[in-house]
Amino acid sequence: MPCLLALIVFGIMGIFSASHRALAKEAFSCIFRRVTLRPCNTGFQEKIKGKILSKLLARSIFLAKMVNKHYEILSWIFFILMVGSTVWVGRGIYNFYVYGSCNGLNASGFCAFDPSGENNKVTGIGDDSSCGITPKTEESLDLLGVDLSTFPKINNNSKDEVVFIGCYACDYSRKAYPDIEKLIENKNANFTFAHYPAKGDTTFLANIGYCVYKDYPDKYWDFNNYLFTTEKDFVLNKSNADKILTKFNFDVKKVNACANSTETKKVVENQVKELNKTNLYGTPTIFINDKAFVGPKPYRVYRSAINKFIFF
Amino acid sequence: MLNTEKIRADFNVLNQKGVSAPVYLDSACMSLKPNNVIKAMNDYYFNFPACAGRSSHKLGDKVTNKVKEARELVQKFINAKSENEIIFTRNTTEGLNLLVNSLDFKKGDIVLISDKEHNSNLVPWLVLRDKIGVEVKIISANEDGTFNLENFSKLISGVKLVSIVHTSNLDGYTNPAKEIIEIAHKNGALVCLDAAQSIPHRKIDVQDLDVDFLSFSGHKMLGPTGTGVFYGKKELLEKLAPFLVGGDTVEFSTYDSYKMLPVPEKFEAGLQDYAGIIGLGEAVKYLSQFDWSDIREHELKLNAYITTELKKIKNIKIIGPEDPKLRSGIVNFYIDGTDMHKFAIMLDEVANISIRSGQHCVHSWFKGKGIHNSARVSLYLYNTMADAEAFINNLNKVLKVF
Repeated sequence: MPCLLALIVFGIMGIFSASHRALAKEAFSCIFRRVTLRPCNTGFQEKIKGKILSKLLARSIFLAKMVNKHYEILSWIFFILMVGSTVWVGRGIYNFYVYGSCNGLNASGFCAFDPSGENNKVTGIGDDSSCGITPKTEESLDLLGVDLSTFPKINNNSKDEVVFIGCYACDYSRKAYPDIEKLIENKNANFTFAHYPAKGDTTFLANIGYCVYKDYPDKYWDFNNYLFTTEKDFVLNKSNADKILTKFNFDVKKVNACANSTETKKVVENQVKELNKTNLYGTPTIFINDKAFVGPKPYRVYRSAINKFIFF
Repeated sequence: MLNTEKIRADFNVLNQKGVSAPVYLDSACMSLKPNNVIKAMNDYYFNFPACAGRSSHKLGDKVTNKVKEARELVQKFINAKSENEIIFTRNTTEGLNLLVNSLDFKKGDIVLISDKEHNSNLVPWLVLRDKIGVEVKIISANEDGTFNLENFSKLISGVKLVSIVHTSNLDGYTNPAKEIIEIAHKNGALVCLDAAQSIPHRKIDVQDLDVDFLSFSGHKMLGPTGTGVFYGKKELLEKLAPFLVGGDTVEFSTYDSYKMLPVPEKFEAGLQDYAGIIGLGEAVKYLSQFDWSDIREHELKLNAYITTELKKIKNIKIIGPEDPKLRSGIVNFYIDGTDMHKFAIMLDEVANISIRSGQHCVHSWFKGKGIHNSARVSLYLYNTMADAEAFINNLNKVLKVF
């Protein structure tokens, strides 16, 4: 058992160091002899044991004696721990690749590959909404029973459905949106955009967006892209709304009339109510088929979800 | 009496700044090198790195003279009749192989060896047995490892060559070479001594012993690695066929003939390790300043102390005669059923004590006795009583773990 343990440890260390490579070879030779029913004659096991006991002997004779007495059992324990930790690390790497977090989908907690938790940061909804908070609890996010019929949609006749719930004022939604656009372009998935006013007064933009989509569906996606990619302070300033509409050659009066109408306000209010049914707790929340991704994930995460690379 | 403090000052490895000196107890494997040996070798490489015996320029002449000087030093060191009886080799093993491959062995010839031979004096004979069908006979030692002259006398009849270890690297016991040679010669057998472990520790007088061949290494007698000497009586060497041939072994050659040079050149094919040979000469010079009895007395004192202390430890068994006087500078011990590697490793890790563990290239003996392996302490003139005490104290500490 110590040889097997040593083979794995030195095998990994041997990737970086020639001296450990030699030890890994010795360990392999020892194991090979054992599995071919011959005694390990390399002295490797004793060498490793001697080195470990020497280190312990320098601290305590009792400790060295105990380790020597239970050496085989301890080796097994360390082996099991090592296999466990290897599986755990593998799971973490897999999670990081497909979810952007070592701890799983939308799970917070320390991740060595994303130490600042960038991939999980969201703009919380509610009174204390502010950009960059990390959610402390994970809700069950679901689109079941949510009416998305009034939201802007691109129908590519695809089996894949992507729903982006974001806020023009939120940095993390702004960060994620270009990746989602790229995903839709590359994968031809069906796409629904839903604005959720998570931060500040952005309802006026939702109203305008609703009307633009109604009257100018062909130009809507360029307009929406503009709102996400142009300087935030400019876009969120109500006095600039007309300038933006003019830029796209929209009928400013018509759009404003529509946006200020009771009917539009009611529709947008209902849209928020529908979105609340998803149990979302922050933006951006992106549904890709049956998975919900909260926070701006790396592009590969969205691609993995579309490519059905997520197995667990 | 040896002045060990003065001796230790000559060994750089024991006096490195900022590094604690190792307790070096593995001289049977490899001796440390005094500074004069290293300096002489560096001198060659720095100042006259040329060929010997070939080139007629000043640098070449200097190398030729230095090699000649080294040969003369070795000749005097073992009291050979002529410097031409000294053949430089790479080590003891090469010397023994030279004999195995050069003497006119025929199928059925008998070679007698002991049961404590190093692989270098066992395997070449077994290979020769398989190759041409010589018979290899083994003389068993007494239970305590001492030589059984009675057994030897019974087996000597019809033997062509007795090839035997002088001092065993297994237990430090020195075989009674003079008696063995006398009996062998009376029975018409030649004798070759493996003197790898004896030459660093005792006076070897080849004329007094009347030994026919003798092989030893430089690296165990304070000399450089890759150096050794094969001695043979001139009249016998002249009869031997050369083992390795080529450059510097022939007087001349044509496309279909050659004329070999006389000994020793005909056995020293190709460019030699001149730096090593010069270093070996320096090692001989260094050793020659001491009285052999002082070296022996010093080693015996340390061996006696270690032996006495080891005997106090339960389960430890010493290989070879109980009396340290019969074991030169070697104390080889084991514990039944225990792998001794871990003790050597732990002594090294815990206290920077270097000893050897394993089967010491005498696998045949360990296999025959059913002993897994052993740990060997081997002493030399630079070791001190403090070294011996450090070994015993730390061994006791390590043993508490088991």
